[in-house]
Amino acid sequence: MKAIFISYNQSLSERVMSVLDHHNARGFTKWELTAGRGSEDGEPHYATHTWPARNSSILSIVPDHRVKPILDALRELDHQLPNHGLRAFVWEVVDQI
Amino acid sequence: MKIYERSVRKPISTILIYVGVIVLGLFSLSNLAVDMYPDMEIPVVSVSTVYRGANAADIEQNITRPLEDNLNTVNNMRRLTSRSQDNVSSITLELDWGSDINEAANDVRDVIGRIGSFLPEGADAPIILKFSSSMMPVMVMSVTADESYNGLAKILDDRLVNVLNRVDGVGSVVLMGAPTREVQVNVDPQRLAAFNLTVESLAGIIAAENVNIPGGTLDIGSNTFSIKADSEFRGSDELSDIVVANIGGRVIYLGDVATLKDTIAKATSEVRTNGRQGMVLLIQKQSGANTVSIVREVEKALERIVPTLPPDVTLMTVMDTSEFINESIDTLSNTILFAFIAIVLVLMFFIGRWRAVIIICLTIPVSLITAFIFLYFTGGTLNIVSLSSLSIAIGLVIDDAIVILENIQKHIERGSTPREAAIYATNEVWLAVIATTLVIIVVFLPLTMVGGMAGIMFRQLGWLVTIVTTVSTIAGITLTPMLSSLMLKADRLNHYRGLGVIFKPVDKALAGLDNGYARMLTWAVRHRVMTLAIVFVTFFASIFLVGRVPFSFMPEADQSMITASIQLQQNVNLDYTTGIARQIEADIMERYPEVRILNVTSGQSTGIFAMMMQGQAGSHTISLRMRLTNPGERDRSIFAIADLLRDDLDRIPEVREFTVSTDGGGGFSNNVQVKVFGHDMELTNEVALDIRDRLREKPTLRDVRLSRDDLRPEYNINFDRNRLAAAGLNTATAAQFVRNRISGLRASVYREGGDEYDIVVRYDEPFRTTLEDVENIMVYNSRGQGVKVGELATITQIFAPPTIERENRQRLVNVDVAMADGVAMGTAIVDIRAVLDEIEAPDGVYIEIGGAYEDQQSAFADFITLAMLIIMLVYIVLATQFESFKSPFIIILTLLPAFTGVFLILWATSTPLSLMALLGAIMLIGIAVKNGVVMVDFTNLLRDRGYSINHAVIMSGKSRLRPVLMTSLTTIFAMLPLAVGLGEGSELWQPMGIAIIGGMIFSTLLTLIMVPVLYSSFGAGDLRKEKRARRRLENGSK
Repeated sequence: MKAIFISYNQSLSERVMSVLDHHNARGFTKWELTAGRGSEDGEPHYATHTWPARNSSILSIVPDHRVKPILDALRELDHQLPNHGLRAFVWEVVDQI
Repeated sequence: MKIYERSVRKPISTILIYVGVIVLGLFSLSNLAVDMYPDMEIPVVSVSTVYRGANAADIEQNITRPLEDNLNTVNNMRRLTSRSQDNVSSITLELDWGSDINEAANDVRDVIGRIGSFLPEGADAPIILKFSSSMMPVMVMSVTADESYNGLAKILDDRLVNVLNRVDGVGSVVLMGAPTREVQVNVDPQRLAAFNLTVESLAGIIAAENVNIPGGTLDIGSNTFSIKADSEFRGSDELSDIVVANIGGRVIYLGDVATLKDTIAKATSEVRTNGRQGMVLLIQKQSGANTVSIVREVEKALERIVPTLPPDVTLMTVMDTSEFINESIDTLSNTILFAFIAIVLVLMFFIGRWRAVIIICLTIPVSLITAFIFLYFTGGTLNIVSLSSLSIAIGLVIDDAIVILENIQKHIERGSTPREAAIYATNEVWLAVIATTLVIIVVFLPLTMVGGMAGIMFRQLGWLVTIVTTVSTIAGITLTPMLSSLMLKADRLNHYRGLGVIFKPVDKALAGLDNGYARMLTWAVRHRVMTLAIVFVTFFASIFLVGRVPFSFMPEADQSMITASIQLQQNVNLDYTTGIARQIEADIMERYPEVRILNVTSGQSTGIFAMMMQGQAGSHTISLRMRLTNPGERDRSIFAIADLLRDDLDRIPEVREFTVSTDGGGGFSNNVQVKVFGHDMELTNEVALDIRDRLREKPTLRDVRLSRDDLRPEYNINFDRNRLAAAGLNTATAAQFVRNRISGLRASVYREGGDEYDIVVRYDEPFRTTLEDVENIMVYNSRGQGVKVGELATITQIFAPPTIERENRQRLVNVDVAMADGVAMGTAIVDIRAVLDEIEAPDGVYIEIGGAYEDQQSAFADFITLAMLIIMLVYIVLATQFESFKSPFIIILTLLPAFTGVFLILWATSTPLSLMALLGAIMLIGIAVKNGVVMVDFTNLLRDRGYSINHAVIMSGKSRLRPVLMTSLTTIFAMLPLAVGLGEGSELWQPMGIAIIGGMIFSTLLTLIMVPVLYSSFGAGDLRKEKRARRRLENGSK
């Protein structure tokens, strides 16, 4: 089992959800509003007057074999829309109940 | 789910809600009544008291003063004026506009109840009258006839007046100048004396003969019959057969001593329309009824009535208030339409995508239509104020939609789907949009709190603009994103396909403009001191213009109506007056082809007009009403024609005084009064006459005249009480004898066809034309002995004391002044002041300028207070929005060039600064500030994002140039039709349109330079402060 953490501009909500749905990643936890900024460039997403862009974040735990297709799909999406600051990170899940 | 998200996700519900709003709006619109102004009651209560036998001074002392002293306590009173003349005291209470007239009338009633017992014994109970706008006739018609003239009154009464009275909403129909039938018994005094008869005894005999006396009932057998002696006259010719005496067996008939005439009563006035004799029909509406619909109904009824009238009877409409209303409303509807088209074109130019333009423009009908719903549910009407409010609002309602759509477009260009872009882009800006709407609301909502007459005018404006902009914001954050999600396409660039190709050069030009502006800003920011110096110098230079733009009150509209009242020498008789009237009539018909209907009344007009004119009418007065062709169909304005007419009247030597007015009988008068207060009548007369003569020399002034009429010569019969007593008579009896012979004695009534006509006995005309005739009148005592009046009394010529006028419990004489064509009140006031400076008021006399000037001064003062209040509120709203004292200050400073622009354009177009222009300036506070908000907000944002001040200033300028130009241009174009002033009634709003356009042009151009420069000047100190703050944060973390 792996944990995928996806952080993205809110305006990608539907597309990110459709990627998860498409790859049968049923379970997830979502934070509707998160703030963040990229390490290198890209504008901050703070939901403030100055930086009005808003982020959402999703943590989804998926079986190992689904990680690659999901990341590929997300990569493709980021490639299409580079300004939206879509990022995904993967962890190992050590245990679960 | 937020409201915008819900609307995007549920497009069907959203669309249907707005369809519902539109349907409700159209329903309201179709049911809205049309009127000229918002409902306003004239807050005037009058109290009139009759005290027979008292002269003006007595009336003043015993009736007017005690009443005035107590009426002074009535709440909300603005002015208390009174006129004391022989026998009558009339007091007028003018209350504050908008105060409850019923409450005031009750207060007045209380006061009169309290002091009624202190009034003199013989005085009648005071009569209280509430004035109302429904007393003004909605329609004036003239009826002319040739052969049928003598019977006209009866014909009209039966077939016209009664029918029209039944029309819904018609309050009353008054027939003026109608000849009344009268049976005259004109006696020859010598014959009367020969047969030992008197006027009184003849009247007694006639009354005794013209009776119908029931004699009770008679039982004959088993039947009951009523019995009566009916000897009422069957025809007026029966009168001559009445036996009046039997002398020595010879029967004397009435016909032997008198000439009998079944004719029309001696006219006290003559009414002619377009050269034909006739009468005038006044139609008044019920209070609260709708003028336009009444006139429509009356016209429908007339269509049915006219064929039933004799063929020589012609009906003509002299005045139709609904016509002007309809034309004004049409003009304004066109104005709104033109504004709409102009806005679409401006948006197309800047945005270049028809889908986007449609989405933005849809907010216009949706938000404007709610105004109709509001009007319908609050009982308002479609009037020039409400429609002008809409044409003002039309430029404001699209601003929110533009901001939101622009952001959605930006998101789409970045690659979001239209649906997501609609939701998240709206989420980013919706709070900012609400904040700018708040700025508009704080400007317009205080307008609902203005007092006075201006308050009534602008209350509706305040409410409507507030409601419409609020709805436009709601539509902006629901309808606009919803439509964007459905209609906008996800293509990122404009491909200039098809017709779109014409936008390629436009886009290029706009890009060039952006760059040019950025270069200019760069220069300006580097030369801050010089730039600001130029801006402030222009502003202070414009302050000098303030003195050069004359002020006025309300702009006057060309209502195609001119009225004039002319006074000849006192004491001329009706025939003489009629002669002059015909001469004037012929002159006007010849010289002014624009005059379509000319209605001339010579002599005393009766009824409501006489009351409104408050005396001054008599056999020496002529009143003219002229209806001209529509303004579009003639070259000369009514103001120019009125001026020419004044010159004409001036040349007629018989005309002593005249006024020519162009206010159409209703609405606002721009006349100024010079009030000469003082107790000594002769002294005030002298001063007032001096002022009048000097004012008459000023070319800027017209129709200068005194309110106090010239002394009127009269004859007075001074009975000698000793001689009366010796003859066994008293003054009352003797005076009554004189009255019966000259004025006539109403003996009885002659009944025909259900109507009653007076039978009047009096001396035949040839026997009552000289003073000698009066002296020869025989007065009989109870023993039947006759004495001539000449033996009992001396007849002397006296001057009747004039009417005593008072205002706020002080005697005064008014010098009324009208302004010449194109002369603003401010210019006239300068001239009047110059005259008043020359005059040294004697002790106990003081002089004041009043009338429209007084109203203007108080309205201007109200507006300036209002402007201060609004500026403060705007500052507060902006300061909370920016959480800063400095940013709103920079924005408020941009109002300076806006006001410069207002004065500059008023001066350039030689438009006086009227209340309307001032209103425009106040609205500018809201509209001009918006541009500043957009600029400062974006600069703040760039500063927060870490740009240096100068960089932020220039970048934000470049990026905000188009939105600023777009909103400014839409506002300017929306105002353009008003400012150009097409059609009837447009004069009223023209100054406002001009002021807004001038202010907008100036404030936009200067805001674009001034805000960035000011920002960078003020911001220079910020850098140091920021460094200090950062250091504090870093040190604090240790």
